[in-house]
Amino acid sequence: MWRKLYQWLEERLGLSDLYKSLLDRPEPKGNWWNTLGSASLFLFLMQGLTGIFLTVYYTPSPDHAYDSIQYIMTGVRFGWLIRGIHHWGASLMVLVVFIHMLRVFVTASYKYPRELTWLVGVGLLLLTLGMGFTGYLLPWNQKSYWATTVGTAIAGTAPFIGEFIMKALRGGSDLSALTLSRFFAAHIWILPGLLAALIGVHLYLIIKHGESAFPDKDD
Amino acid sequence: MNEEQKKAVLAKYQRALQKGERFWPDSLYKDLIVSMGLFLLLILLATFVGIPNEPKADPSDSSYIPKPEWYFLFLFKFLALYGQIPLLGKIEWIATVLIPSAVILGMILLPFLDQNPYRHYTRRVLALTIMAVFVVSMITLTMMADYPTAVDEQGHLTLPTWLQMIGGLLIPGATYLTLLVLAALAKKLGAAARRAQIGVAAISSVLMFGLAIAVMLVSPRPVVAESEVADTLAEKFALGADLYSIYCTECHGADGEVTVITGVEGLEGREIVAINNPDLMYTNSDETLANIIAYGLPSLGMPPFGKAYGGELGPSEIEYIVTFMRYSWDDRAELPADAAISSIPELAPGEIPSYEVHIAALTKRYCLSCHRPGKENNNYLMTSYEEIIGMSDNGPAIVAGDPNSLLLLLIQGQEQTDKNGDPIRAMPPNKLMDPKYIEMWKLWVLNGMPKTAEDARTLSPTPSP
Repeated sequence: MWRKLYQWLEERLGLSDLYKSLLDRPEPKGNWWNTLGSASLFLFLMQGLTGIFLTVYYTPSPDHAYDSIQYIMTGVRFGWLIRGIHHWGASLMVLVVFIHMLRVFVTASYKYPRELTWLVGVGLLLLTLGMGFTGYLLPWNQKSYWATTVGTAIAGTAPFIGEFIMKALRGGSDLSALTLSRFFAAHIWILPGLLAALIGVHLYLIIKHGESAFPDKDD
Repeated sequence: MNEEQKKAVLAKYQRALQKGERFWPDSLYKDLIVSMGLFLLLILLATFVGIPNEPKADPSDSSYIPKPEWYFLFLFKFLALYGQIPLLGKIEWIATVLIPSAVILGMILLPFLDQNPYRHYTRRVLALTIMAVFVVSMITLTMMADYPTAVDEQGHLTLPTWLQMIGGLLIPGATYLTLLVLAALAKKLGAAARRAQIGVAAISSVLMFGLAIAVMLVSPRPVVAESEVADTLAEKFALGADLYSIYCTECHGADGEVTVITGVEGLEGREIVAINNPDLMYTNSDETLANIIAYGLPSLGMPPFGKAYGGELGPSEIEYIVTFMRYSWDDRAELPADAAISSIPELAPGEIPSYEVHIAALTKRYCLSCHRPGKENNNYLMTSYEEIIGMSDNGPAIVAGDPNSLLLLLIQGQEQTDKNGDPIRAMPPNKLMDPKYIEMWKLWVLNGMPKTAEDARTLSPTPSP
């Protein structure tokens, strides 16, 4: 019975090809430092999952954002756990992505033929920082409000286009309801979308070129 | 990299694969272990560390010192230090845009800038030393981030700020230059250049760490402004009760019952509505009440209390006061049973009260309304332990162990006279405290006015559990 079902699926999906190309790949002798990339991916998925749960109760308006988070923390069953994981996961993700980048740098894995993997990786690091920056505002508390005020003001110091960038980020000359909805949209749609797409490219390149080998004396 | 080198790299990789392992299951199980470990760590952090509570955003409170997420702190500190450089520091965009963009561009172009075909660390001294110094400077800037970048009255940098400038900007900058110069000289000097690079990077890293630690030791501890934040309804109610008794009782009375204001300068004899009236609660929503507190009712003599309008209260604090009013005087609102109505802790039998646990709560409820800066109080402030045991215009208010201390007599309703023969009113002026709280004060003074619960426990004959 199972065999038949498998045969049926195999004929249509090509499962064994998938298995060969994705899972049964040969790899150079492994190293624990090589787990950081998959750990970043895991944290991204966790952030996505907990983030989706949080949007169920979160309201991106200055009048309700703070209260809706208080409600998540005290009124929703296990809301504190979901938000706690999302909060700490953000910090941990930045840390893990950064150490992953350092590892790639130290083993010089960005060299031929993996230059593009590095390039996409830099994009992923910047997007992760962008996620941290936009997510920081969403609780709409004193800390986030003033940190975002300063952060966007820093963008505003750029010559010629600074004023425009700052207004585009804030949706006006000051932080307002528009800023919050822009940051919310960026945090839940724009940046995660870009992140997911770039992660796809990153993974494709890793499978294409294989994991880099730890360099030895002759490298 | 030429075609031959490329071929060699690929051929070597094929050999590594031959000696290697399979992605499934050899690598994947390591990945799973690490990911599960992180998952566990997240749950532990969420459960046992939690998320610090912050007050609601208050756009009017520009005195708030902003602090970004920890992973942006290094950039924050870098900008602050850069701003102190004479002349160049005034051109902000060099530090805010140009340098970060250059670093990011450098990262993006790294595979193309780094033409060195070798991968082993012994052959990549320049790249590794620059990265090491960069990471060390990120870490040390983060360590120094909580300590202010300060100038003294004459506008000169203070000693800790000098140390920050040296450790945060000068040493890393000089090190990058030295490393690059040494790399340029590598052809002439050979292996000596490499050793010099490693030495320079190591020495400057040690110096940067040393300076960061020195800054942490010599700087005054950063002041962390604490404001109390409530989670639950009960906490909101208790904080609201304290705030109400500090800011509102003077005019409205301890229970909102006052209809004619007495004893308040400028408002003496003014007739007002008793705010504990249920009708008032029915006809005003929480939002209306919050707005009235924030804007005040200038035509009726009520001053604004919101920070945005010249008062002292932020939006969270006003919300707590409204919560207190709603659950005290609106008969439709009922506090959950588990809510502690009083924020003043009871004494256990044999327990000696301490300032931090008991007296601070009492002063909040009964004294701070007047005994805080900017009020008429014979220069006797009660906002901290030091102020309470300090001097007033009438000499020391309390003396440890003295049952006839001025304050103790006053709170027992015995009017006194000052050195000019003028009367000192009994305190609190309108209605004495509950007798059990008067006892608490007496017990505290007679036992030497312990500051912390720890101090009180050592005095206590029967230590409370």
